[in-house]
Amino acid sequence: MSARDLEDIEAELLLLALRERYGYDFAGYARASLIRRLRQMVEFFAVADLADLLPIVLRNERVAQAVINFVSVPVSEFFRDPPVWGYVREHLIPALESFPRINVWQIGCGHGQETYSVAILLRECGLAHKARMITTDINADLLATAKRGRWPAEQFGQWRANYLAAGGTTDFDDYFEHTGDEVSIRADRLQPIEFVEHNLVTDDAFLETQFIVCRNVLIYFGDALQARALGVFGRSLERGGYLLLGTAESILDGDPAWSTVQPELRVFRRTTAPAVTCTGW
Amino acid sequence: MYGLVVVGFSAGGIEPMRSLLAALRADYPLPVAAVAHLPPGSGAGFTALFASAGALPTAFAVDKEAIRPGRACFAPADYHLLIENGERFALSVDQPVNFVRPSIDVLFESAAEVYGKRLIALTLSGASSDGAKGMAAVRKRGGMTIALAPDECVRSSLTDAVLKLVDVDYCVGIDEIIALLQGVR
Ligand SMILES: C[S@@+](CC[C@H](N)C(=O)[O-])C[C@H]1O[C@@H](n2cnc3c(N)ncnc32)[C@H](O)[C@@H]1O
Repeated sequence: MSARDLEDIEAELLLLALRERYGYDFAGYARASLIRRLRQMVEFFAVADLADLLPIVLRNERVAQAVINFVSVPVSEFFRDPPVWGYVREHLIPALESFPRINVWQIGCGHGQETYSVAILLRECGLAHKARMITTDINADLLATAKRGRWPAEQFGQWRANYLAAGGTTDFDDYFEHTGDEVSIRADRLQPIEFVEHNLVTDDAFLETQFIVCRNVLIYFGDALQARALGVFGRSLERGGYLLLGTAESILDGDPAWSTVQPELRVFRRTTAPAVTCTGW
Repeated sequence: MYGLVVVGFSAGGIEPMRSLLAALRADYPLPVAAVAHLPPGSGAGFTALFASAGALPTAFAVDKEAIRPGRACFAPADYHLLIENGERFALSVDQPVNFVRPSIDVLFESAAEVYGKRLIALTLSGASSDGAKGMAAVRKRGGMTIALAPDECVRSSLTDAVLKLVDVDYCVGIDEIIALLQGVR
């Protein structure tokens, strides 16, 4: 038997442990990058192979949480891909004003940078008082971190540059408090944000929304999970509501539930066709 | 018998890559996937650098897209490009590897796992060692490894790192690389 086969089995066992013991199901995730991250965990914990990680993950909840956090890739940035946010500011948020109710659902919060980016835009476009904003993630640990809204200041210069490139209209620094080498968001300047646990693999739509932001989450899913997630978005969005995906993500052409608003920036719109109902979930 | 060509480069690699794509032409039978270290935010303009009449067209890879001939697909700025089982592209925003995202190692290692002997891996000019481990992975799984000769590299750190780590099949100039790639058609 080759080493590769062994690693596959070990990965399977580890994923089984995370699911059965902690309720996190990564089985349907895109394999190539998942395996890479599991190998990085082997290095990080200085064990010989994935099998050696298994007993620690099973018995030590803190190690398990560290693995889960690493595997969920909490990488985010303020106004990553500025042209996208420029478009949201100029076209998308103004278009939302025609809806009598505006619920904005941001999915996959990472450490919250994208979450607050959306909140800043709503405020600067004068929609903060009208819109309700909900952010969800599979990982309660990340939701708590995002809610706290505190980050190393290291990347702050990049974030400010992104904000300006995305057409920011005020002083970006006014949204933050600097303490030592950290920055924290001044949440009182923004509208309230609801942080809620929600898993795109197992949970369904729970609220009618008019704008869904789900960027750099679908790239981590295999086909079946991607299709399922799109079904959830389709059932949540009011007809005519907007969906924003990551710049490397897309919806297969010809899905009648979606029309493309801006192909390069990955802006889609919910048509009046019924959302695909997922069977077997 | 080959199924995919992967290419990696950074500083000084644009010129040889242009010559390569111009020579391979649009009807080249093998799919090509590439990682270049580009400044974050390099948008659509980047792939246009390689456009010329008759050349193999370029595009940014889209997540879970089927790998097919007729184009060279680049990793989009700030995403790692990987090859998934079933010969499809996958992207990730995982942490930088060797301080870079996209990383050449990430593409080459994942491609080696899926394509094994059916892979051709090529490194051009580059200013860092990212790509060397990837070449080693390709070699280990029986794929063909080609490095651009140091005297044709504007920056030879990449070739140097590759040669130190891997007993490559070819370390030759761009004309020979073109002939080799045309020969496998
Ligand atoms: C790479 S981050 C993206 C952060 C942010 N959207 C951005 O693009 O800057 C991916 C996020 O998706 C979350 N995630 C992963 N699997 C999920 C699932 N099944 N349901 C909901 N969120 C998930 C992760 O916990 C992580 O916070």
